[in-house]
Amino acid sequence: MIQDFITIIQDYWLLLLIGQYPNGPLGGLANTLILSALAIAFAFPVSILMALARLSKWWFLRWPMTALVYVTRGVPLLMLILWCYFVIPLWTGADVPSFLIMLVTLVIYQGAFLSEVVRAGIVSLGQGQMDAARALGHGYMGAMRFVILPQALYNMIPSMISTFVSTIKDTTLGYVINVPDLTFAASQVNNQLLTQPFQVFLILAVVYYILCWSLTYVANSVERRIARRRAGPRNARLPAEAAPLKTITEQL
Amino acid sequence: MSTSVSEPQAAQAIRIADVCKNYGDYQVLKNINAEVARGEVVVICGPSGSGKSTLIRTVNRLEEINSGGISFEGQDIHAPMRASELNKLRSRIGFVFQSFNLFPHLSVVENVSMSPIRVKGVPPAAAHDKALKLLDRVGLADKANSYPGQLSGGQQQRVAIARALAMEPPVMLFDEPTSALDPEMVGEVLSVMKSLAAEGMTMLCVTHEMGFARDVADRIWFIDAGEILETAPPEDFFKNPRHPRAQRFLADLRH
Ligand SMILES: Nc1ncnc2c1ncn2[C@@H]1O[C@H](COP(=O)(O)OP(=O)(O)OP(=O)(O)O)[C@@H](O)[C@H]1O
Ligand SMILES: [Mg+2]
Repeated sequence: MIQDFITIIQDYWLLLLIGQYPNGPLGGLANTLILSALAIAFAFPVSILMALARLSKWWFLRWPMTALVYVTRGVPLLMLILWCYFVIPLWTGADVPSFLIMLVTLVIYQGAFLSEVVRAGIVSLGQGQMDAARALGHGYMGAMRFVILPQALYNMIPSMISTFVSTIKDTTLGYVINVPDLTFAASQVNNQLLTQPFQVFLILAVVYYILCWSLTYVANSVERRIARRRAGPRNARLPAEAAPLKTITEQL
Repeated sequence: MSTSVSEPQAAQAIRIADVCKNYGDYQVLKNINAEVARGEVVVICGPSGSGKSTLIRTVNRLEEINSGGISFEGQDIHAPMRASELNKLRSRIGFVFQSFNLFPHLSVVENVSMSPIRVKGVPPAAAHDKALKLLDRVGLADKANSYPGQLSGGQQQRVAIARALAMEPPVMLFDEPTSALDPEMVGEVLSVMKSLAAEGMTMLCVTHEMGFARDVADRIWFIDAGEILETAPPEDFFKNPRHPRAQRFLADLRH
């Protein structure tokens, strides 16, 4: 049994790591990491912009964004992926790589989820912080950047981590539109071996688990470091204390 | 904006002319007319819900008004203007809140130095030095590197005053700065305010601290149900209030 795993890894590690590269497109774990990192890197600022639009006093920003967030949150990610897969090439008339389609879909989808968290984080600060910033002469953007967002984002860290973790997991759905990622490579291996699906997909699960767990670990230790720096009777928000916010926002 | 209140080189620091404000159907401010001279200390008092906070918040336009005008150093702060212009005007009006509203993610010295750096473009090193001087002045030099969550209410409010002063405003507004404090901390905040007054700062304070009003104010505005019913020097106001509602307010306070 253990021997099976070792053999699979010995024979296919390169395929699992980088896919067909350099004879084909980059794939495997490398592509999963790149896709996850890009999706998180873009979804984060996008979610802030979406939240600001939803809190905007201008209806022409608020209404369409509210609609987009509701629709996105109300449909399964797989639908959204397939929809983008067929619609984006129609609109653009170009042959868009499936990697890019997957990236755009993930950014919109996770951005919408995260924007609800950001919005709740901003609203939960109350009016006083904004008033204080405005009274000192900060403009709206300055107040957001220097006063509101640093606090709201800090309070959001637990929810942010869970969104980022689910982003990593959701990259696996790229399989349906042939994004050459780790899942895709594993299924290629499985197709070649035919007899060892349990072993192949267990290896896959372990790799995803390690990925998600390390992200959680890093994020938690960053949060603990900030909490320690600010330690005081009111501001030592340990992850456990900040967790209720997450439950609230996920019900929104 | 029917009334023009803009004039160059006004003698008054603040001039409030025919200001009305509604929340829906409810009229919070009814035709307010009042002035604060340069260097003057004015205390606004009146019963709860009378519109004191609303009035003081219209002075730096944290609240909009429905009609009238408010001039600050001769400039109408409620006139239509670009956001950047309003921000510039606001940065010259210090405001101290009942609930302190310090920035909990910044250290004390960063609370005080952040706005001069970000709004006025003061070099960070200079802003930092200035912040330390101001903290020393409010008696908190040793707390520079603490975070607001580590301070008592009275200490937080003194930091909030230092933070407002860091913008070098010619005018300071206070909205019940001691109401959220435990009794033993009221004195330390009032003494900072007293020293400011003694240095000639123009101040407009909403407060229930009648001792402070008596000792420090040049004039009292008594406001009830959105109207200024009486403005008088403290000795007149406390000895012979003219308006019946002012008499009742003072009688209630003594009980
Ligand atoms: N955002 C708002 N919407 C509707 N009504 C409001 C709003 N803010 C204040 N009010 C009402 O306006 C009136 C004046 O409120 P304000 O806060 O100015 O009173 P105040 O004199 O400061 O009272 P206090 O001494 O309790 O602080 C109150 O009746 C209050 O209920
Ligand atoms: Mg009030």
